Amino acid sequence: MLALVNPFTDAFPGAPENLANLLWVIVALPLAGAFLCGVLGKFMGRANTNFLACFTVFASFILSCLTLWAVGAQSTQFISPASGVPVRWALWLDLGRWFSAGDFSAHYGFLVDRLTAAMLMVITGIGFLIHLYSTEYMEHDDGYWRYFAYLNLFVAMMLTLVMADNLVLLFVGWEGVGLCSYLLIGFWYRDTEKAWAGRKAFITNRIGDFGFLIGMFLLVLLVGATEQMGRETALGRSNFSDIGRARAWVTAVHDQGPLNLEVLREWALRMPAETAKDRPGMTLGTTITTEGPLKGKTFGQVLTAALLLLLLGAAGKSAQIPLYVWLPDAMAGPTPVSALIHAATMVTAGVYLFCRLSFLLVLSPTAMAWVAMIGALTAIWAALIAFAQDDIKKVLAYSTVSQLGFMFMGVGVGVFWAAALHLVTHACFKACLFLGAGSVMHGNADETDIRRLGGLRKEMPWTWATFAIATLAITGIVPLSGFFSKDAILHGAHTTEVAGYPWVGHTVYWMGLFGALCTAFYMTRLYVLTFEGKRAPDARVPHAHESGFRMVFVLVFLAFLSVVGVVWGIPELVPGPGGRKVALMEGYLAPAMNLADRLASIYDTVTHTESSPWLGFAIAWAVALVGGATAWLVFRSWLPARAGKPLPNYIALFWSWARAKFYVDELYDLLIIRPFTVLSKGLYKIVDAGLIDGVAVGGTAGVLRRVGGWLRYTQTGNAQNYATVMAVGLLISIGVVLTWVLR
Amino acid sequence: MDGISITLQHYLFLAALLFSLGVFGVLVRRNALVVFMSVELMLNASNLTFLAFARDAGMDVGHLPALFVIAVAAAEAAIGLAIIIAVFRSRGTVNVDDIRTMRL
Repeated sequence: MLALVNPFTDAFPGAPENLANLLWVIVALPLAGAFLCGVLGKFMGRANTNFLACFTVFASFILSCLTLWAVGAQSTQFISPASGVPVRWALWLDLGRWFSAGDFSAHYGFLVDRLTAAMLMVITGIGFLIHLYSTEYMEHDDGYWRYFAYLNLFVAMMLTLVMADNLVLLFVGWEGVGLCSYLLIGFWYRDTEKAWAGRKAFITNRIGDFGFLIGMFLLVLLVGATEQMGRETALGRSNFSDIGRARAWVTAVHDQGPLNLEVLREWALRMPAETAKDRPGMTLGTTITTEGPLKGKTFGQVLTAALLLLLLGAAGKSAQIPLYVWLPDAMAGPTPVSALIHAATMVTAGVYLFCRLSFLLVLSPTAMAWVAMIGALTAIWAALIAFAQDDIKKVLAYSTVSQLGFMFMGVGVGVFWAAALHLVTHACFKACLFLGAGSVMHGNADETDIRRLGGLRKEMPWTWATFAIATLAITGIVPLSGFFSKDAILHGAHTTEVAGYPWVGHTVYWMGLFGALCTAFYMTRLYVLTFEGKRAPDARVPHAHESGFRMVFVLVFLAFLSVVGVVWGIPELVPGPGGRKVALMEGYLAPAMNLADRLASIYDTVTHTESSPWLGFAIAWAVALVGGATAWLVFRSWLPARAGKPLPNYIALFWSWARAKFYVDELYDLLIIRPFTVLSKGLYKIVDAGLIDGVAVGGTAGVLRRVGGWLRYTQTGNAQNYATVMAVGLLISIGVVLTWVLR
Repeated sequence: MDGISITLQHYLFLAALLFSLGVFGVLVRRNALVVFMSVELMLNASNLTFLAFARDAGMDVGHLPALFVIAVAAAEAAIGLAIIIAVFRSRGTVNVDDIRTMRL
């Protein structure tokens, strides 16, 4: 626990190498759990399956705590395969080559630095809590073994995603969590609507994954072109002046593969930005001259294109505009799944990806501006939709989309640590909110319509208290974790200038502030309608019952985390890089974000102005209070007082549009799905049914049948007829031989 | 023996004639027994050819296939006749037109 509070300790008692050799166990445990639950779960019985599923994740959690402790210590280091220099505060395990194709190769390796360690705590820690919660939540479901197998598989895949030492393995985890998400959204697959929601999520994600793949391919080509130009051109050779490191890098490109993170880091180091005019050798502005699809483009253009494609992938997984539509529908799955996958962990994969590739992102201001603007737009858009949703889980889903938008804003303006911090704190309080919603549903006969709840404060005191704390946390009230994490992002946006896009920082700041206002409003509305006031007359059950011990314990624990998470965000707490005082999380992640910060300051792609954050914090706090208070007044006094009278026109219009999710689903249906369906139907009728089934398959069969019908008459069954044919044939053959061959 | 001397060609013509007669019998006659005898005729025609060539070339090795053919013909006669008798017992006829078991 010491490492949790003070990460700057250098007192890891064990040998870090031994721990590095055990990294694979962190993934293998939940994977084995998934296998056992899936294959034997039905025969083991409910209690054994519950125990096994929780145990594997808890064991992973213990190991994750050890790695967190280890990477807190400076003595923990490995020799980078791409540069030959030691990388501190990180563990690395290379399990050998996974596959190679031509020049390309990929290894199966795990890398844990402080960013990964923070993610590990979220995944295994909150993952374990949600497993525990699920044991009670799913106690009446016969598919429990399937559920826990999927859930364990999800944890294993998410761990693969964050621990992968190269983008190919990361992509395995990326697809794996997508698969588990699909399986769990459609967990109750007998319900057609839920099965459709699963499919929608999967297909939307596939669109993003397509972008991810193409982006990866571009990065492969980019590294390959750099390596080739470095060897073959005089210009490139000066990039490689340090011959030892150059050799190490080239070897690593061929051995570890071009998508290894250390290889990419070294690439980012070797490739100065366009602004570094005085540096000899290739820069991002250099035109690629090697043969191939990249010829004639500059390195910078290709990098930007790759990052934008990765942004598409991240937008799919992290539910950003334009691919956010699947997340609200994903609430069809069991509520703990919504908490774990669709709030705390999987949907943050996009944010993790950009934090992981921060050193590439800072080389491309264009990509950063895109990320920031997409995030800001999503934050507001989703918050506006959340205003008018009546389903408790839908509100939380849009809230998740909105909060992920905040994280993207942080990534886009280069405050990666704030984005990561918001990721962690959001995981705590949003998991608490979702599990609270699950508890509400559990106690109210699966009622999710907040208009038919109300007054639960007295009937479900524990759920009420924890939900209230988490609401305050997400709203951004001071002593809770959400405040500092969200406002670290806003402060970062306010004081950051992205090179070439001077307007981005301020625009994002004001949009973020508005988003925070909206957040306060809809969360307070959700809280008021669910827990305050009187119980709705048309409630499904007359009295709600509080959930059992396991669920309440998890809720309390998560609420506790939502409060103490604030420690990580208090600004100017500990000494950080450059002699200034920084927040705990910034100091903690400094080694992982070191390269990005260095590159950004060398090439001036991102400029942070130093200024005291306290004034901005005061503004943000006031904004949150105003939003919350407005919602409180509107839904506690104004609306009840107006009961029976119609709303003013403009509000009613906005309300109906927001309730219909601004018709985005309908728009997509009209623009993409309908034409696609028509095209598919046409293709089906003409190509599939017409050409393939009719002409190719049916035609072959028809011709054979007809010819066979004619030939049928020659089969008389009379041996003499056959013999006659043979004799005549023989005669003709002899005649031919005598006439033409032996002439 | 002057005037007419019997040469290889004579033997071969005789063999061809016998063979053609045999083929004709196999293809045209409907009685299975006659068909059978025609097959024997063809076999013997080929025997004659072998022996004629053997004598012409002065090599005894040509006798070997002829002996084989005789042996095979004997075996064939034994089994073939047995089949014909069996067919006659089961169907009451040896007319090949009536025994069309090769068509499903």
